[in-house]
Amino acid sequence: MLKDITFGQYFPGQSLLHRLDPRTKILLSLIFIVILFVAKTPIAFLLMILLTAVFVEMSKIPFGTIFKGIRAVLILLLFTAAINLFLTKGQGTPLLEFWVIKIYAEGIWRAVIMAVRVVLLILISGLFLTYTTTPIALTDGIESLLSPLKKIRIPVHEFAMMITIALRFIPTLIEETDRVISAQKARGADFSSGGLIKRARALIPILVPLLVSSIKHAEDLATAMECRCYRGGDGRTRMVKLTYRTRDFLMLLFVLAIGASVFVLNHYIPILLPDLYYF
Amino acid sequence: MNILELRDVSYTYNRGTPFEELALDSVSVGFEKGKITGIIGHTGSGKSTLTHLLNGLEKPSSGDVLLCGESIWEEPKKIAQIRFRIGLVMQYPEYQLFDETVRADIGFGPRNMGLDEDEIARRVDEAARFAGIAPELMDKSPFDLSGGQKRRAAIAGVLAMRPEILVLDEPAAGLDPRGRTEILGGLRDYQRSRNATILLVSHSMEDMARYCDNIVVMNQGRIYVTGTVSEVFARSEELQSVGLNVPEIARIANGLIRRGIPLSGDLYTVEGVRRAILSYVKGECEC
Repeated sequence: MLKDITFGQYFPGQSLLHRLDPRTKILLSLIFIVILFVAKTPIAFLLMILLTAVFVEMSKIPFGTIFKGIRAVLILLLFTAAINLFLTKGQGTPLLEFWVIKIYAEGIWRAVIMAVRVVLLILISGLFLTYTTTPIALTDGIESLLSPLKKIRIPVHEFAMMITIALRFIPTLIEETDRVISAQKARGADFSSGGLIKRARALIPILVPLLVSSIKHAEDLATAMECRCYRGGDGRTRMVKLTYRTRDFLMLLFVLAIGASVFVLNHYIPILLPDLYYF
Repeated sequence: MNILELRDVSYTYNRGTPFEELALDSVSVGFEKGKITGIIGHTGSGKSTLTHLLNGLEKPSSGDVLLCGESIWEEPKKIAQIRFRIGLVMQYPEYQLFDETVRADIGFGPRNMGLDEDEIARRVDEAARFAGIAPELMDKSPFDLSGGQKRRAAIAGVLAMRPEILVLDEPAAGLDPRGRTEILGGLRDYQRSRNATILLVSHSMEDMARYCDNIVVMNQGRIYVTGTVSEVFARSEELQSVGLNVPEIARIANGLIRRGIPLSGDLYTVEGVRRAILSYVKGECEC
């Protein structure tokens, strides 16, 4: 049952997006998000939608898989759209008036724009950071991007190592949880009836063995790492070295150019809503 | 009479995903009441899946599991009652220990059955005796026990429910020889005193020969051979072709027979082969 939780949505492939350096992909996602919130003109939004579609097509990841991510935040999406729709006060006469509800043209625009922003944000960050990048590559990328912080004595490598280890043990723990649940069920444990307190108490036979085995895993892993002379990040070399290639620079340049044009467009084309940010 | 029976059971993991995997392929097999049946097979042959299906932890994708002729999934709400009747000891069961004392942990199953405290205490002591747990360990924390003692405590936790049928997945894996004989011997005592039925999954052919009445051989999700211990071990070539072995001593006996020495009787335990060889030698001398 717990195995149904697919962890890490990495979708193996050989597309350009897969081959980009993880650092590039982190930067691209950040730039993309900034552009999304700077954009104010309709043409900019169309451009962003088009760009996202091109990236999705390029990644060769089935459309259905990518849209699963959207389904998860559908409620949030509808909620923000509804709030924007009903609470925006426009300047003209309301398009629709019903009891206390007044809907203005601005409200509709705002709801649509917010929805587009959230959807694109999820699609792009999912595409760059989860579907085409393994969790390990991602933490390597984060470590490398944050490495300047080492100068001010922030243990960046240790943090990255902790994230890597945590990610690596999630499937193991899921499997163990499954096993413990089965074993206790075989002894007649009942997890699904009774009141709140009874149900909480029913979790003890699962949580205690899990906690014990987690601590044991941690001890074993620490011993294994020490046996191989792990001493933290200083002087440590890597088996896979991250290197920026031409494609990384081209991609960054391309997206930055788009960002610049979106910014310029804001000043030359009538923008959609002057007060888009004030709510 | 078959107390527990699988009828045309198939089981598929991760059905409907790209990771779909057929673990059992229309398996039909019956288990005799009051006998110890061994289940052997290569890693990945479907043994562990089979044990989960027998006690209702998983539901077959198709086919039926019959207990005394009735499907255990007849009333899905009563599956917990079925689990009290068919006890399951999983692989490396020491993972399941959680309570403050060994006594309380063994009592977890009976307590879930809703028995009164006197009956629970009686059953806990009885189960501890069968599993060979020394009385002075009963009030210790299960986490302070050694590996072998933890295993015994976990097995006792299932014995305490007094199941009619006991399914054990490698109960002696990773134990020293003495621990093995004590645990398996204790299980046989339980089976004899309660006329229970035991299904024993194991990799050790020697254990199979020593403790089992019948053997079921599995291969790639199907039943490969079933029969009594002597019937199955007589087919050593077939077993070897699916990556299994017969007990060492049975190989010696089979080798002697191939070389023209007619041995008969129980030819898969050291004691049996010794007797067979001695009676053969005596027969030679008398001629």
